[in-house]
Amino acid sequence: MPSATLLGQALISGVLAGGMYGLLAMGLSLSWGLLRLVNLSHFALAFLSAYIVYELGTKYGVAPWWSAAMVVPVMFGVGAAQYWLFDRFHVNELASLLITFSFAVIVEAGIQIYWTADYRRFETHYSTLSFKVGPFFVPVLELVLCVVASVLAWGTWMWLRKTYVGKGLRAAAEDADIAAAYGVDHRKLAYLLSGIGAAYAGIAGTFIALIATLAPAQIWAWLGVVFAVVIIGRLGNPLGALLAGMLIGASESLAMAVLSPAWAPVVSFSVLIVILLWDPEWL
Amino acid sequence: MADLLAVTGLRAGYGRAVVLSDVTFRLEAGEAMAVLGRNGVGKTTLIDSIVGVTRRFDGSITLAGRELAPLSPEERAGLGLGWVPQERNIFRSLTVEENLTAVARPGAWTVDRIYGVFPRLKERRGNMGGALSGGEQQMLAIGRALATNPRLLLLDEPTEGLAPIIVEELLSALVRLLRAEGMAALIVEQHAHKILPITRRALILERGRIVHQGASAELLADASLLERFLGVTRR
Repeated sequence: MPSATLLGQALISGVLAGGMYGLLAMGLSLSWGLLRLVNLSHFALAFLSAYIVYELGTKYGVAPWWSAAMVVPVMFGVGAAQYWLFDRFHVNELASLLITFSFAVIVEAGIQIYWTADYRRFETHYSTLSFKVGPFFVPVLELVLCVVASVLAWGTWMWLRKTYVGKGLRAAAEDADIAAAYGVDHRKLAYLLSGIGAAYAGIAGTFIALIATLAPAQIWAWLGVVFAVVIIGRLGNPLGALLAGMLIGASESLAMAVLSPAWAPVVSFSVLIVILLWDPEWL
Repeated sequence: MADLLAVTGLRAGYGRAVVLSDVTFRLEAGEAMAVLGRNGVGKTTLIDSIVGVTRRFDGSITLAGRELAPLSPEERAGLGLGWVPQERNIFRSLTVEENLTAVARPGAWTVDRIYGVFPRLKERRGNMGGALSGGEQQMLAIGRALATNPRLLLLDEPTEGLAPIIVEELLSALVRLLRAEGMAALIVEQHAHKILPITRRALILERGRIVHQGASAELLADASLLERFLGVTRR
């Protein structure tokens, strides 16, 4: 049995790593829950953003926050354009999965053509910075990521609950025809939401560039676990996505510390199965 | 008084099926009209056609002089149609208050004023729509329509499937809306004796056509007419 310090460190690292799951899950959850579009290209957009931040940073010395200020609005535009395509061709839930999967594969290929399949790492002087709280190390970048993800999750949650646009989106997600008959212009709202979801991929990508090692195939590395997080957090619920991300991050990290790294996915997907069997209404 | 709603020569239905033929009537501002008829004669189709969710083959529907035919349901709602669908279709995953505020438009009907008409909704403001009883859902459906600040309410069988005591509560709220507030309404109802006393005029549909139009009070007094078209005998 590992020491209490090791377990505590595993818990902290896990929760912080879970912030990334949550951040990636948020955009996917909004699109799936409120637009009924399962947007697999979300991962590709996040990695494309990461590569752009890497490129701007390593070639031109642009600070990642300035890169983010450019990439995030562009991603918003990409998200809105994707919705235009889905709406124009009346794409349903299943077809959206297949189309966005294809889109992700194309983006992956594009990344591979331009940046090759080599591993890339955006080294910054703060990438390994951490501070000590008692016996535990807290990595600064991961902490910043968690704070950003928390602010976004809470802000989005409030936006969906308190604003006319947010409530309209939730009403339309439940019954678009009825919402329309009460004057809710679902499509206008959907463009906005699709853009916001993709903008979140841009934000996640900025952190991926700083924290992770980049390779084209890494697009798929988080797919399974983030899917689980989206469902555990309930579709369309950004706060749920973040909390589920932290829960899964923590349980994976503890499983790795107590058992072995191979156990990490067993734990997260067992949690998913248990939750779905316990309450099938969840989805 | 100027016509608020004018339906002229309307032929409408779903897909290829024509349900309504040559339907023509007028409704003035502030007027309440009952739409009566047996099951399946096209009462709901009439409401749905005004809202814009059926297929129109011919004829015209104008609201305050504006032709509705080329407009989408959203645009029609924007012009002042407040629809209370037969299935109620409240948003189950939104709270009572969110159901009202999600569709609210500025105007005299604020959420507080709606709570004044339906105090039960205020008590349950934080509950999810899906957790309401049938009667409460109906009140919420009417409240939601009011929140859009409509010029005309379209009520489709508002008392259907409700317990008698709830029906009474709902009808007295409707009376207040129609008489005290002067809300114009088109009310589809199976039960003529419930709705005729609270409306000014009535029309009877049979097989998609209007077979009678007149004052509600006269129809209520004419047992043979009620018997002939609606199969109702005195209470």
